[in-house]
Amino acid sequence: MMMLERYAYANRWRRVSPAAKGLFALCGLTAVFAAGSPRVACCLAAVLAAVTLAGTGVSLKNYLRVAAPALGFLATSAATLLFSLRLDGPAGPALHLVPSELPQVAFACTRSLGGLTAMLFLALTTPMNDIVALLRRLKTPETLLDIMTLCYRTIFVFSEAVHDMRTAQAARLGYATPGRALRSLGALAANLTLQVWQRSQSLHQAALARNNDGPLRFLEPEYPRARASLATAALSGASLIALAMVST
Amino acid sequence: MKQDSGEIVLEVRDVGFRYPDGSVGLDRCSLALRRGSRTVVLGPNGAGKTTLFLHCNGLLRPGGGQVLFEGLPLDYGRRGLRELRSRVGLVFQNPDSQLFSATVREDVSFGPVNLGLERQAVRERVEEALESVGMTECADKPVHNLSYGQKKRVCIAGVLAMRPRVMILDEPTAGLDLRMQHELMEVLQRLHAEGMTILMATHDLDLAYAWADEACLIDNGRVVGKFSADEFPHKAGMLERHGLAVPQVARLYPLLVARGVFPPGAPAPRSCAELARMLEPDELAGALCR
Ligand SMILES: Nc1ncnc2c1ncn2[C@@H]1O[C@H](COP(=O)(O)OP(=O)(O)O)[C@@H](O)[C@H]1O
Ligand SMILES: [Mg+2]
Repeated sequence: MMMLERYAYANRWRRVSPAAKGLFALCGLTAVFAAGSPRVACCLAAVLAAVTLAGTGVSLKNYLRVAAPALGFLATSAATLLFSLRLDGPAGPALHLVPSELPQVAFACTRSLGGLTAMLFLALTTPMNDIVALLRRLKTPETLLDIMTLCYRTIFVFSEAVHDMRTAQAARLGYATPGRALRSLGALAANLTLQVWQRSQSLHQAALARNNDGPLRFLEPEYPRARASLATAALSGASLIALAMVST
Repeated sequence: MKQDSGEIVLEVRDVGFRYPDGSVGLDRCSLALRRGSRTVVLGPNGAGKTTLFLHCNGLLRPGGGQVLFEGLPLDYGRRGLRELRSRVGLVFQNPDSQLFSATVREDVSFGPVNLGLERQAVRERVEEALESVGMTECADKPVHNLSYGQKKRVCIAGVLAMRPRVMILDEPTAGLDLRMQHELMEVLQRLHAEGMTILMATHDLDLAYAWADEACLIDNGRVVGKFSADEFPHKAGMLERHGLAVPQVARLYPLLVARGVFPPGAPAPRSCAELARMLEPDELAGALCR
């Protein structure tokens, strides 16, 4: 999460219009789902990953590190699809491979992989703020956006609070034994709940102090050559979709 | 309206306030700010400084007494509060409870956007505010990657962007290291020079003496002393009774005068740095000849 965040802010395409990047990601996603075979989906995933690497300047190693949790998830899902549990086997219950499922599983997995690379393209090139601003322009309900803004900001405030509390507890041997650890964790959760409450009160006050009486609105950044980027994104996105549709 | 220096901008008159749990926030508290003045509110923890400030911005309504802005009692209606909050800016003590947005520039734009200004006007104000706190370089940074002192400055910029006439800061130097304190005080100095009325809470007496024109001491929600900052050296008893100390330099300087190092009656230094400068040989010779 934090890694993604860091790369998104430092990436080379940070100043490219989020609308263009969003459009390209959406086209990528569409192309992956339009792909006629696992091979095509796989190729699309590779193209999307390559574009991301080239565009952001993130190294392959770091890219894989960011993708690792999702890939792990994908792998476990694939495994559960591929294997099935047989209870009436000769040697008692056993896992066994279901070969007939293989093509379908391969297709599902490569598509998911393609989808993942498309989303990673967006996540690595566009910081959360820009995504929220984009969604605002697309007329997403304000309440939803406010929640996103606040959650996003609060994640960092709370991860710091949790870290500090944990450290303070550990410094007084709060995690010395499993029993103590459980107690400390409980205390931490209770304390955090209280802090969430107080923090929400003070955020509300601070918003009022700056004359807020409705949705949380901010100045949206402007992007140079937004139209050109959008056109480029549309063109390349469309060709991805076309490629996916014609090749088998 | 005439802009004479004695004009009162903001006044708190006999304000009393109790929190819902019964604890006393303010007790017949009175304070008046002259236009363009620098006032410090001194007081131990829990004295009621924050509560007082929340009243000045209309965030809390007095249980008794009233708050006046430019001579008129506050109007707690929607329009009235809107007007007030664009004139009286409040910088909270904890920056994390004031910063909403994840990037600096966006957060600073929050107030002006709430004022309903045009995009271009918002943009200008944001840039100007960032410039005046020296945060232009960090404008596109995510807020959570800033240092504590930088967050503090972003908070100030967020309030400045609303172009208030009165700026209220709740313990702005708490938790800042010496260099960041100096930078912050420079920002405040500049605002003062531009005519801003500033009210600040602190329990750093040295800082208060070096910076303020007026001081107000509160304890248990009550104003227990109001004096001009020149009088700090004579307020030792009062300050100590309320758990505060006399500024270092105000303790030393009279002793040096008594020993004949400095002639009596000359203007007293407001900080140790100033005193040290006066003690340098050439300056000392100059002072003695005078
Ligand atoms: N939200 C609250 N609920 C109940 N009591 C409060 C609350 N905030 C402050 N107080 C009480 O009001 C008094 C004044 O507090 P405060 O204005 O925060 O003091 P200061 O800012 O000078 O440290 C204290 O006794 C404090 O315990
Ligand atoms: Mg306080």
